[in-house]
Amino acid sequence: MRIAVLARLADVGEAPVREAMGLMAALGGEAQSLILAPAAVAAVAALGEVRLGVHPGLEDPDPEMTYGAALRLIGDSRPDLLLLPEGQLFEMIGARLAGHFGMSAVRDVDEVRAEGGEILLRKGAYGGKANVRLRARAGVVAGLRAGAFPAADVGPQTPVVEEISSLPEGGQERRTVRDTSGDDLGRAKVIVSGGRGLGSREGYEGLRPLAGLLGASLGASRAAVDEGWASPSQQVGITGRKVAPELYLAIGISGASQHLSGMSGSRLVIAVNRDEHAPIFEAADIGVVADWYQIWPHLQKALEG
Amino acid sequence: MRILCFLKAILDPEAPPGAIRFPGTVESGDVATVLGPFEGNALELSVQLAEGSSGSFTAVAMGDASQDVALRKALALGAERAVRVDLAPGFQDPLAVARRLQAAAQAVGGADVYVFGRQAGDWDMGVTAGLFAGLMDLPFVPLVQQAELEGGSLRLRREIAGGYEESLRTPPLVWSVTNGPGTLMRLPKVKDVMLANRKPIDVLQAADVEPTLVLAEIEQAQVTRQGRMITGEAAAQAAGLAAELRRFLVTGGGN
Ligand SMILES: Cc1cc2nc3c(=O)[nH]c(=O)nc-3n(C[C@H](O)[C@H](O)[C@H](O)COP(=O)(O)OP(=O)(O)OC[C@H]3O[C@@H](n4cnc5c(N)ncnc54)[C@H](O)[C@@H]3O)c2cc1C
Ligand SMILES: Nc1ncnc2c1ncn2[C@@H]1O[C@H](COP(=O)(O)O)[C@@H](O)[C@H]1O
Repeated sequence: MRIAVLARLADVGEAPVREAMGLMAALGGEAQSLILAPAAVAAVAALGEVRLGVHPGLEDPDPEMTYGAALRLIGDSRPDLLLLPEGQLFEMIGARLAGHFGMSAVRDVDEVRAEGGEILLRKGAYGGKANVRLRARAGVVAGLRAGAFPAADVGPQTPVVEEISSLPEGGQERRTVRDTSGDDLGRAKVIVSGGRGLGSREGYEGLRPLAGLLGASLGASRAAVDEGWASPSQQVGITGRKVAPELYLAIGISGASQHLSGMSGSRLVIAVNRDEHAPIFEAADIGVVADWYQIWPHLQKALEG
Repeated sequence: MRILCFLKAILDPEAPPGAIRFPGTVESGDVATVLGPFEGNALELSVQLAEGSSGSFTAVAMGDASQDVALRKALALGAERAVRVDLAPGFQDPLAVARRLQAAAQAVGGADVYVFGRQAGDWDMGVTAGLFAGLMDLPFVPLVQQAELEGGSLRLRREIAGGYEESLRTPPLVWSVTNGPGTLMRLPKVKDVMLANRKPIDVLQAADVEPTLVLAEIEQAQVTRQGRMITGEAAAQAAGLAAELRRFLVTGGGN
């Protein structure tokens, strides 16, 4: 079996790449590490034997250019199993490469086993209500969930550098806008998250004093993002951020499985919801069945006093 | 501009815990089948683009007759044609799905823009749009939040980690659509819903494709915690909650 990992360090950092390498080693077979880089070769040397595709356009990657660069780097050596750490790179080109090579694709995989020449991949389904194992009878591209695989212990080595020239043209007049509102969710120790139950933008904004008192970052459910109260980078859940704070405070969030998937790694979960049957209470350590607007004035006084 | 919008109806993703169970199979009882939310976002952008370009869009869904709810929504929102690719329900290899959708796209004459949802909330694969782009050898723009016509080009806003990117792209293109204020699905008028119920849905045979990825196992995932409730009047609940939060702040999260 031929296995390759393809990653962009600027996308995910070193750890998920080491994890993919660890998985390659565990599976055995012919292994190859392919890294896409803007220019800096230094950081890559720590990752052992890698082939580095270098192009300045990979600094701020356009999907077309990134795809072109990946095709060059993979060249004629189509692997049977192509691993990408979950993240922006997979989103842009993981499944597309699979289609190009006539391979299938699975993402957010947290377990991979080889069994009688076939590969078994485990992932969640139905918003995290179920886990499935999928059997790949032919080539497959897999997106690996961060932290799910033991990291390989690789020593420094000089990478083989391949200068990639003449990439396909990407989008014109490209403009990137940073939205810092959800920046620290991944690292936050405390997150206060609001949902549709807050009723309005003002209601959502009303969480800021609480977040201030707790030193918390503000998260949101998909519904709060759809309403335009919070930005997409604040969305917590299966298609938002996966967070694991010490304290997760969910206010006016029903607790759909797709939301729970993003915050189930939290240490302590406290939920406030006026519906005693809301599923969030099944995922909470401490529950308060109440109208948030009845609670907050008292809570604010108690915390500030 | 010709637009093809790929829709999927799924078991209501907000069904209460336990309503859908997974004892080695999918048991859904009387849980309703609804248009998936990201497919709703894809539909909204298709409507916007069709309106903006005085063009039209065709909606395609693959599956059994339970998919018709998705197609009827599209018809009520102005789809000129609804096509169902007939296939038995159940897990499908996403590569096989993409190949069959490719065959269906060719059968209806192709398009300038192929619009997909980001992720169907049944198997949460999130790969069909990319696979389709790879098969068709077309440019792929993931996680589109906004699309505006500019001459023959499209100014697309796509979600990236920590923000968004805008750029001008020229069809033919494949996108996946994500959620955000600009992609919130509009509600059809009651009259249009009634009319849509009388419009035809064209049924095509699914192309014969051998799956390479099969479902080997499905099991229930456990998420429940043994929680406790803070009860009483609002003031008492707030006091109890304040005490918990203080304890947390003092111990720094440790016990
Ligand atoms: C493929 C897929 C991916 C998805 N990804 C995500 C994701 O990443 N993140 C995510 O969050 N969702 C996601 N969803 C959507 C998810 O299914 C739910 O629709 C969403 O989480 C609901 O948001 P909510 O809880 O804020 O809103 P609602 O479900 O409307 O809940 C609002 C809650 O507020 C309570 N409430 C109302 N008023 C008050 C009050 N005054 N005080 C206290 N409580 C009150 C209500 O009792 C209710 O429980 C996804 C769905 C699909 C299908
Ligand atoms: N059976 C299907 N019929 C029509 N479109 C589909 C089907 N399956 C997936 N899609 C499209 O592909 C997107 C992503 O699906 P998935 O990769 O299964 O998460 C969906 O939002 C739809 O736009």
